Amino acid sequence: MSRWLPVLFALLAGLARAVGIVVVTWFLCRVMPGDVVDVLGLEGGLSEAQQADLRVSLGYDRPIVVQFFDWAQHALAGDFGRSVRFDRPVADMLASAAPVTIELALGSFVVGVALALGLAIAATSMKSRLLEAAVDGLNIWSIAVPTFCAGVLGIIVFSLWLGWLPVIGSLILPIIIIGLDNAGQIVKLVREDLAEAVMLPHVRTARAKGLSPWRIAVVHVLPVAAPIVLVLSGLVLSGLVAGTLTMEILFGLPGIGSLMLNAVHGRDLPVVLAAVTVVAVALVAINTLVDALHRLIDPRVNR
Amino acid sequence: MSPKAGIRRAAGSFVAPGTLVALVAVIVILLAAAGAPILSDQSPLDQDLTAMNGGPTAEHLLGTDNLGRDVLVRLLWGARTTLVVGALGTALAFALGAGVGLMAIVAGRLTEMLWFAVIDLIRALPATLLGVLLIVALGSGTVPVIIALGLSFSPLVALVVRTAHAREVARDYVAAAASFGGGRLHVLVHHILPNLIGTLVTQGAIVLPRCIVTESVLSFLGLGSSPDEPTWGRMIADASRFIEQAPHAILAPVIALIVLTTALSVLGDQLRRRLDPTRAAAMPADLAEASPIATAWTAEGAES
Repeated sequence: MSRWLPVLFALLAGLARAVGIVVVTWFLCRVMPGDVVDVLGLEGGLSEAQQADLRVSLGYDRPIVVQFFDWAQHALAGDFGRSVRFDRPVADMLASAAPVTIELALGSFVVGVALALGLAIAATSMKSRLLEAAVDGLNIWSIAVPTFCAGVLGIIVFSLWLGWLPVIGSLILPIIIIGLDNAGQIVKLVREDLAEAVMLPHVRTARAKGLSPWRIAVVHVLPVAAPIVLVLSGLVLSGLVAGTLTMEILFGLPGIGSLMLNAVHGRDLPVVLAAVTVVAVALVAINTLVDALHRLIDPRVNR
Repeated sequence: MSPKAGIRRAAGSFVAPGTLVALVAVIVILLAAAGAPILSDQSPLDQDLTAMNGGPTAEHLLGTDNLGRDVLVRLLWGARTTLVVGALGTALAFALGAGVGLMAIVAGRLTEMLWFAVIDLIRALPATLLGVLLIVALGSGTVPVIIALGLSFSPLVALVVRTAHAREVARDYVAAAASFGGGRLHVLVHHILPNLIGTLVTQGAIVLPRCIVTESVLSFLGLGSSPDEPTWGRMIADASRFIEQAPHAILAPVIALIVLTTALSVLGDQLRRRLDPTRAAAMPADLAEASPIATAWTAEGAES
């Protein structure tokens, strides 16, 4: 039981955080100057009376707290209202945009963690100058080159100069670019953690037994380093958001990022709210799960 | 180690060539930004309609963009916005993270808990998403971007400062100062704060490049300052639609941004090595070895 208590607390804290974020997001979005009615009014030349009618039909005239609970109730059931611009259910728009973003995020996450882990293990077990330099290089790359700059460079090199890939709509290049950024953010920390794990007595024993470096790395060192890898995987999330958002715009991918930005520019409130809320809650959920899992497999953190 | 000794050592010791190049790069960009009105013979908004998306010529050293605006001139003026917004964002992050954070800690348990609950909430949102949200709430423009940057990066400062503060509070000199009748605020300002300067400077060096990158991302997404105000992010966004016709117009701001962030990161890394006492590398090896306690708290500080 005592083993599960911290996990339960972590999950509850995550829930509280998610609720807090949803509330803050909603009220921040509602104070935005100039709602969609203003924008439509300017574009379509609606009269004052027509604008007032539209506001009533959208429910914007009710007390703001009532509006929030109304929205929250529907949102919990998966109903985010209708886009004011496109007159489509927001949930449908999100559902059609989500696969692109998920593919992009998941793909680059896998590429990033695999690359970081592989490189760190190789550098730890082989003691090669070149591999150490690769670790440092990847780390510096992720700090110094923002993903959208890397995207621009990628387009110029691979599409314009080499003519390999079509520029727009390609998923491979953005996945590699965000993946490189993810890997660079964590590779050095994984490498440092592995270097410490290598010094542990049981690893020395394994080496004395004459096991191969790769076997030692995978069977004896990696399990010790598993918790830190888990924590670091949570760390890349923030970079993942910036990465997917800018890559979707740069490469013209119709994902949630594009949907959100178009909605921001068009003052399409229900869509902005839904997109920001869904992304934020997804992030909190992932972070909470990582935290809970961490507490489960590494009881030392509970102290 | 007193911060003064740290600075003396930083100045006195050998400077790596990489650091020197980074320093020169930052100084050149600062001078370019400061001298933009003198250096440029035209306004960053001037359109030369005879030379749209033109390559480098004697008249336009870095070519022109899709509206025939001089890329070099826009680069110079953009550096101003980028640097000023980045610096102000960093300042705000420190005011909120370190300023309000330390005051909340000194004021008592309850205020500390409340403020750090807010910080925890902010931390749950990535900078870009928080930026989008705040710009939706406040409207696009330079001020909302600065607020967004300050809020987004305040947790980074606040958490490090809280750890450093907790570390210092546990040390003897704080107990000594308190035993002489020093109030909590007095002890904070006159005794603890001087010992946090190394940590603060280090953290500033980490936050500044991140602020600059995030500002560029937000401008790139069209959420930054007004279209009349050239920023590197907006230049990249504008030129990205003409990447085939005019790769030079996009390469110039991209390379400028990469050079700036790289140089700032290299300098920041050097500062951290030399100033931050929580890093083992910053402590003279003989001291770390001689004192098991010093080693213990160094390891503890590095872990958190």
